[in-house]
This record gives sequence, C-alpha cells and structure tokens, in this order.
Amino acid sequence: MQNKYLRLLSLLLIVLLIPLAYWLRPGKFEAADLSPPPTRPIAASRPSGFESPCKDEHPEWRQAQVIDGVEIAESLACSPDNPYDVAAFVKGVNNVSMPTLMSTHLSEDALTKTDDLDGDGDPDVIRIKLEVIELNGASPDGDFLIPSYDILPGVQPGLWVFAPKTSDMAVKNYGSNQANYFLRAPSPVIRVEQGDQVYITLENTHYFPHTIHFHGVDHPWKTADGGDNDGAAHGGADHVSVFPGDSHTYEMKPRTAGTMLYHCHVQTDRHFMMGMAGMFIVEENRPNNWVQTFNIGGGQVRHPSVGVKGEYNQEYDLHYQSVDKRLAEIIQEVNDPRLIEKKMNREYNMTESHESYFLLNGHAFPYTLRDDLIVTGPNEKIKLRVANVQDSAVALHFHGHRATITHYDGIEQPEATQIIRDVVDIASAQRVDIKLDTTNDGLHNDGEGVWMFHDHVETGTTNDGVSPGGNMSLVVYRDFIDEQGMPKLHDGAFDQFFTRSYYENEQPIWAMGEFAQPLGEAGLLAPNYLKIIAFGLTVGLLFALLIYLARSFKQGAAE
Amino acid sequence: MRFVKYLILLMTLAAMQPVAAAMNHNGMIMDETGMIMNSNTDKVPRDCKKIAGDVNITVRAGHKQAKKFNGIMYAFDQQQWDVPPCSRINVTFINEDKIRHQFMIHDLPGYLYPQGMFTMEIYGPGQKTASFIVPSQRKTYLVHCEVPQHMEKGMKAQLKVDGGDGDLPSIPGISAAVNADSYRVDWDKSAWGALLVSFFAGAAVLWLLNRIKR
Repeated sequence: MQNKYLRLLSLLLIVLLIPLAYWLRPGKFEAADLSPPPTRPIAASRPSGFESPCKDEHPEWRQAQVIDGVEIAESLACSPDNPYDVAAFVKGVNNVSMPTLMSTHLSEDALTKTDDLDGDGDPDVIRIKLEVIELNGASPDGDFLIPSYDILPGVQPGLWVFAPKTSDMAVKNYGSNQANYFLRAPSPVIRVEQGDQVYITLENTHYFPHTIHFHGVDHPWKTADGGDNDGAAHGGADHVSVFPGDSHTYEMKPRTAGTMLYHCHVQTDRHFMMGMAGMFIVEENRPNNWVQTFNIGGGQVRHPSVGVKGEYNQEYDLHYQSVDKRLAEIIQEVNDPRLIEKKMNREYNMTESHESYFLLNGHAFPYTLRDDLIVTGPNEKIKLRVANVQDSAVALHFHGHRATITHYDGIEQPEATQIIRDVVDIASAQRVDIKLDTTNDGLHNDGEGVWMFHDHVETGTTNDGVSPGGNMSLVVYRDFIDEQGMPKLHDGAFDQFFTRSYYENEQPIWAMGEFAQPLGEAGLLAPNYLKIIAFGLTVGLLFALLIYLARSFKQGAAE
Repeated sequence: MRFVKYLILLMTLAAMQPVAAAMNHNGMIMDETGMIMNSNTDKVPRDCKKIAGDVNITVRAGHKQAKKFNGIMYAFDQQQWDVPPCSRINVTFINEDKIRHQFMIHDLPGYLYPQGMFTMEIYGPGQKTASFIVPSQRKTYLVHCEVPQHMEKGMKAQLKVDGGDGDLPSIPGISAAVNADSYRVDWDKSAWGALLVSFFAGAAVLWLLNRIKR
C-alpha cells in the first residue's frame, strides 16, 4: 500500500517538475537582464593575418622609361605592370633584346611582328600564341591549389584564362604554389592595328576542349584554307573544338577599329563564367603605330596607340568579370577530368548559377587598390575602354565626374549624339568607350580628390555578400597618391580590409576609435549559475523519479 | 630602313645569344622552338670522383601517352628511370603534342644547377637532347611538366639514383594520390550476393556457437 502512495506522489512530482524544468531551461541565447554583456576587447577579436596594403615588390617599374626604344608611360600604382613585358608586347618577342625577353615570362614564339605591308613604319603581320591556363586548380598531391592566384585576401576561386604563351615555371619558384605575376585573371587584352594581318594560334594546354570566338572583330567565317575561323563550337564535341594537346590558328585582317571581345565558345555559359573572355581592341591605322599587343595587369595602357595618344593623355582598359563560387569550386573538388566534366557539364545547372565575386581586371576590392587605380591630374582626358563579361549588367558610376560615352560596342558615336552620364549601363558582353575629362568645370569634374568608381548594381561591390568589395576602385589625383601608390587618406584607411578574416565576417566593421566600444563585437553573456544549478537539480530529480517509478512497476509486476 | 636595322640587330642578337644566355641567364638556352636550362655534360658533382657512365633515355610526352591510364590527360611514355650514382643522363625529349611540354627535374645540387633544376622545354612538336650528371646519393627525383595542371593531370615521373629513397605520390601506375578522387562503386549482383552470403555466414557462426554450448 505504501508503495502505491509513493508511486502516486512521484507521479505528481513529475508532473510538477516538467514545467519547472522547462521554465528553468538554459539557452544558447538568453535575454540579458539589466546589463548586456560588455564589448569584446579589439585585441581578442582581431586575429593576425593582416597584409600590408602594398607589398611594393617592384618600385622601379613605376617610373616612365624607355626599354629597347619603347616609350613606357609612368604608372604610379602599387603594383605597376612590368615595363619589360610592355616593351616585348609593343615590339614583339622577335624584335626585343635578349635581356628584355629574359625579364618577361614569354616564350620566344609567343608574339612575333613582321612585314610592314602598308609601308607606314610599323609591322603589320602579327602572330600571337595563346595558351589556356587553369588558376587555383586541384592537386592529387595534397590539400592545396596550384598555381594559386588570390582575387582578394584569402580567396582563390578556380579560374580559366587565356594567357600569352609562356616559358619556364608557372609558379614563382619550386616550393611556392603562387602563380607568377604573368598568370592571372582576366584573360589579357589583345590589341592590334586596323588592317594588320593577324594570326592567333590557340594552343590548348588545358584538359578540356576550347575555341576562340572573336566577338565584334571583323573576321572571315573560314580561314584561307577552309578551316574554322569563328570558334562557334556549340556544345564542343565537333571538329571546331580544339582538343587538349592540339592547336588551331585563327586569322583576320580587321577593317573596323574598336573595342571588341574574344571568348571561348565551347559550353559557353560555363567557360565564359570560368574566365575565358577578354577584350580585343582594334586601333586605328596610323603611321609608326606600334601598339601594345597585350595588356596584362591593372589596366593602364603604358604604351597607347598613336590614335589614342593624339586625343587623350592616358588610356585604361577596364574588364568587369564575375565568379560563381560553386561553379569555380568544381575544378578544386576532384582531379580526374572525367569527374570534372560530369560535375561541371551535367550535374551543375547553370540556370541556378549565382555571381559571388565581382572583379575589375582580375581583382576584387581591396586588391583593386593595388593595380586598378586611375591616377590623373587636373585637365586631362582619359580614355577608358570598358567591357562587361559578367552575367549581370554593370551600372558604372564615377564619383566626382560625369563620363562622356564616345563608343558603343566599339563603334564611335557622332560627336553631337555623345551623351554625358553619371551611370553608364553595360549589358553582358557589351563594351563602351568613355572619355573621362578631369577639367574642373562642375560638369565633367567636381575638382581633385580621391574619387570612387564602381558598379552601382550594389551587389557588385561586395565579396560574396561582404561589403566593401567587388569591382570598387578609385580615381586618384596625383597630389593624393603616396610613393607606394596608395591613396593618401587618413592613416590606415583601408588596412582593416587587407585580411581574410574581414571577408569571413569575423570583424565588426565600424569598431574603431571612439566607436570601438558602442559598435564593437558584443561579448558573451555571463552564465546564470543559480538558474543552471536549479535546472540541473530539477532534471536530475526528474530522472531519478522516472527510474524509481519504472523499477517499482517492474517489481510490482514480478510480485 | 627601320626594318633592315631591326633585322641586323636581331641577327646580331641571334648570333651572340647562346654565349650571352649561358653566361648571364643561369645556363638558359632559348630559341623559338624551346628552352634548355642548366644542361651539364662535364661538371662532376662534388661527391663523385668521375662520371660513372652514360645513360641514354628517350622520353616522349603528350596526351596520347596518357591513354594507357585512367583519369589523366597528359603523360610521359615512362614513369620511372633507374640510374646508377654519378652517371650522366642524356635525355632525348620528344614532344608529340602541338602545345608546350617540359621535362623538368628538381632538387639537384644548387652549385651545379641553379635553383636545383634541369629543364628541357619544347614549344610544339619536336625534340631536343641535353644532359645532366646526377650526384652519388641514393635519392628519388621528381620529373614533371610544370605547365599548369599537366603534372596534376598525369605528366609526372621519377628518376631513381641508386635505387632511390622511395616513391613519390600520384605517379600514374606506380603510386596512389595523397587525396585520391572518389568514384561510384559498381554494386552489381555479385557484390550484393557476396554481401548477403557473408551476412548469413556470419549469422551461422552464432548459431553454431550456440549449438556447441549446448
């Protein structure tokens, strides 16, 4: 009988204790009482891994110089383009000195310029060899990417680029996985002169088939000997595709000048997004017009053509590109080409693609600050050739300036219809040529300074959703640039962005100075020990009662 | 006129190029068909009294050489060479593709081979011959093509001096990858059958044990 009362009592207790335990339950998050937790000290929330905004690797590359007779304009950016490359790009590998060639990564057949066909003092037969380079690819030898190329601190998406034919090591040295500075995004700008006889050989060093399609460039449909000359391989399993280990030469003699494109036309949706698109510029035919056949790096044309030099003080090529991180990851997840083919072509649905990173000339902010600045003085005219090879549109906006659109898709607008805008919309694959006039007249320019320019589709200024990032860069007036090519703002203005932890969302964005405390990282709530002990006791008692009940019922049944 | 000047300049450069290259550019000899770096026919490594002998090897490189393996795209025709200590290796390197390939070997003594490398690079179909002399110690050297993704996709081999000190990873047909790919397993009838039979066999053991106990 006694047992019966005890059982009843414990049952009653259990019924009472369950709501009590529920009421006392500790949470991962709990409402603060009178005093919310203090701000976490900055030292604790700021991990190491800060990079210097400018590595200043080649300060001697910045000044204006003459190499092998080629005039190379000053480039004040932190990471200027290698002037020896520029000299080789202007004269052709066959016309530069051996020391100059040895200061580049070019192979000796990468670019040859011969035969002055029209007798105007510049070579007109141009032979260009392009390879296909995979950046940040997989390795069966360990958990690393090779050759690695950072688009922003700590971010290395898989990319495919066309690259001028190189020689020797692709990485900086044996023991490093870092790509040499020559191998980078985007696919390089190619520049030829109107009327040049151009031969472009695609040497497919990659493990998938590729082609080159010359978009907007005047080119015949077939080569002189009846071979493919349009690169339109559709899916890719036909004779038009250039398969691994093979090569194909495209030929053209473009009659129309302008800013055009070239891109791979095999599985175009995927290969385009992987980075296989670049600008193809046909310069107007002028006497003694040695054009800079490749532009690799930050975008400044360090040896502008005769035509451009006649009208402008400076010229920049701006290549806007986006990266879908899930597509880019595929080449890093597996190594067998058959598995990559299946995952990329047949398992990944490109209609579900999202753009995660937005690059200007291969870099996203803050790395755009290293080589993508437009550096100018007042009263200059700057030619910008802008190409959008993203999936989404670009709405290019300049602070402090209103841009004049002179060309659409390479074709010049009559002067009377050239319009001035502060947002220039560029659909996918479109190009615009812009005249940036730095005359302080309240229309073209509002005065000197450090003025931003960026995509006003604002997601384009994020790195995988973290702001600021993307294709954001600056127009910096010469009085506002320091000797390392960084804008003179207040000290360390951009320092906080030169770390991967910022783009992994580990740093409070505004925690600085006076606001380190009110806008810092909130600390953890101190545990409420009384409540935790009460909860523990309650639950312990509950379990004991349950076990008691179970045992007593079992005993009862046995009796 | 300008072109004549260039031509003369070019010819002068071409004439003096191998000397200048050998002297000023770490033993690099370049022309429009390829590049050879740190070729060595006579400088004997410190630890060798003399050249022990000549080993002639012919290496073919290209995508067709990859066909005898699964899951790769480029390869050499051989994946391993065994050579005696202090021997001179005369390599005839044949590129069977219409793209660039390299025969690049690392970790050689730096005082003979700057950066520890001996490299032969051919820019398209063709062949070149060059030599290097190996030291005496027992060692396995990496031989690869360093064009991005060519080693990763199969163009990788090893040179073993005096039997070598082990195998390098992910050499086609010789060693497994460090992080190997995963493939779908072929669960056919016999695989399922084997699983079922072994399941019942396992259960039968218990049944047998029970019988013995009784």
